[in-house]
Amino acid sequence: MMGAEFPRRVAVLLLRFAIWIAPHDTLDWGHGMLSELNHVEGNWSALLWSLGGAGVLAKHAMLALILPGSDRRAVSSASELFDKEAPMRKATLATIAACVATSLLFFLTPVFRQAFRVSLAQWHDVFHVQLVLGYPDSDPELNSLAREAEKNHDAEAIAFVATNHPNKVEGSRLADVAVHLDPNLTWIYATSGAWYIPSADTDRISALQQWDPQNAVAYLIAAQKIGLTVTHTREFPTGRIDQSENWKEAMKAAFQSPKFDDYLDRQKQLNRRVLTRYHVDDPFQLISDTNWYGFPTYGVWYSSIYTKSLLEEGRVLESRGDLKAAFNEYWTVARFTQMMGFDRGIFMGNRLKETYESLARVSEMQGNKAEAAFYSSLGDRLDKNAERELALRRRSFRGTGLSHWNAFLFRLSGALMLACAALLAICVLGLLIRNRSFRFPSYRPGKGTLVVSFSAAVGLVLASVLMFLTYRPYPDLIQRFLRDGDEASLTDVSSFLRDAQVPLGSQAYSGTQTSVMHFWVAVRALCVLALLLAVILHLRTRPRAIAPA
Amino acid sequence: MKTPRLSPQTLRVLERFVEQPTAWRYGYELSRETGLKSGTLYPILMRLAKYSLLETKWVTTEDGVPPRHTYRLTASGVELVRSTFATQRAALKVRRAAFSGGRA
Repeated sequence: MMGAEFPRRVAVLLLRFAIWIAPHDTLDWGHGMLSELNHVEGNWSALLWSLGGAGVLAKHAMLALILPGSDRRAVSSASELFDKEAPMRKATLATIAACVATSLLFFLTPVFRQAFRVSLAQWHDVFHVQLVLGYPDSDPELNSLAREAEKNHDAEAIAFVATNHPNKVEGSRLADVAVHLDPNLTWIYATSGAWYIPSADTDRISALQQWDPQNAVAYLIAAQKIGLTVTHTREFPTGRIDQSENWKEAMKAAFQSPKFDDYLDRQKQLNRRVLTRYHVDDPFQLISDTNWYGFPTYGVWYSSIYTKSLLEEGRVLESRGDLKAAFNEYWTVARFTQMMGFDRGIFMGNRLKETYESLARVSEMQGNKAEAAFYSSLGDRLDKNAERELALRRRSFRGTGLSHWNAFLFRLSGALMLACAALLAICVLGLLIRNRSFRFPSYRPGKGTLVVSFSAAVGLVLASVLMFLTYRPYPDLIQRFLRDGDEASLTDVSSFLRDAQVPLGSQAYSGTQTSVMHFWVAVRALCVLALLLAVILHLRTRPRAIAPA
Repeated sequence: MKTPRLSPQTLRVLERFVEQPTAWRYGYELSRETGLKSGTLYPILMRLAKYSLLETKWVTTEDGVPPRHTYRLTASGVELVRSTFATQRAALKVRRAAFSGGRA
């Protein structure tokens, strides 16, 4: 148990350390504060006294470091004042070693190793890795998983890699392998984007259409691959869209399909099974698609264009008096948009409103008043639906305040760890250069080096603890998702991981963060300048040989 | 002569010194009398000493107890404090007179 005298002992140690780092001209004052400590009533008051005094001395020590020369000790005449120096130096070195060892011990835990890897994500964009090297074409972890899966003929694992592989050509090859091993995985052509890559051997879109002919997805993909031609003329300055017959046929088939399944639920289940089976340690693999779950974005633009032409046709039929045919055109649009989930109002809101209004109008003209009222109410509800849906998506995308705060602390600890490690490395490098030897026991680091190393080592431990504590809940949540498919827990993980990728200093990720990039570029430039300055100072102050008279 | 910035805290410390200008004072004693923490008191003392307004001395009090650092105003320190407080008193009188219709 902590003794009553403990705070006083800490106070004495603290002041002694402060005196040790204090510049020469403040030593008397430091010893004055230390001697007064014997007269301070109360142990906690003594600690407060010591904290205040140590703060004053530390401030002078910092000033002496920044503005050297004014208070350098010429000769140590008062040697009795420094009789604590040798043990203090040893204690400091031992503390530095203990801190570094503690920090390294954290790396023994898988959670911390994962946390450290995640913490590096914030620097990917800052250091323009992608701009300099191009987007990564390969992922070693995925490659080794693919090799293992191919060796085991594990179609699901191959399909997982096919979906996540950064190189789409390799991804499509793997998708072919997975489908060849298990034709029930043909849907992987849709989610992996393999349909986009040309292949002489396999017509992937036809395979998808044959495998699931009732699904609109394969036809939408076919339309997307055929594409549209936009011609800019004087008559159409914003561009005229030319629809080819093939494109129209594909869209017609999509609009007439009885169902729409984007296969994302299957993909989620497959991801869970593979990640559990292969103990994949990268949480980013887990959330790579979850951000967009529930967003049926397949051919939204194309659907909108085709819807427009159907509505125009409907109006032509309506003007000719063919109300039944017009109603069918409008009904095709309404049914398809409902099937796609567009009735939630986020996509194609205006087109849908127009459709319901047209349906209500034609029903009214046909004398079906109840039907007309029903379609009108559907149209009126669209705005409210959109509002509700947007609020829901925003909430699930933004995450909770706790996850944002955690992510901030996590990024901070990551940055602090790197900074402290860099400082320590610079100190060791400086000693190596100065001593020109690898015999560490012979090193006599200066007071400044010791103070910097000590601060960096303590910072390293604190940052490691902070990183561990802030990341600790997430592996459990990930495990819960993998085990039970509990997606509610994944919202927090996704939010945390999204924030963890944001460079320190910016609030949210929005592509290239110019001001933040400039800030970090300035930091880099200052580091280079500091290094240059240190080299120049070293060269100027190194001992020179004196020429004989 | 250059003088330090006389903050309210510095004035509070100087007030304690000026009560007994020739007496040597201890740091902790000053801290208790002025209510200032060590982190505030010592920078003030150091600044006063830097401007030669304060002198310091190590004194031994009793056997076995480490010597204590003590402080006293120098002659120029006493002079500065007296003139500062005289100016302040005069200014206070003027202000009081202004607020009480000249019946100070």
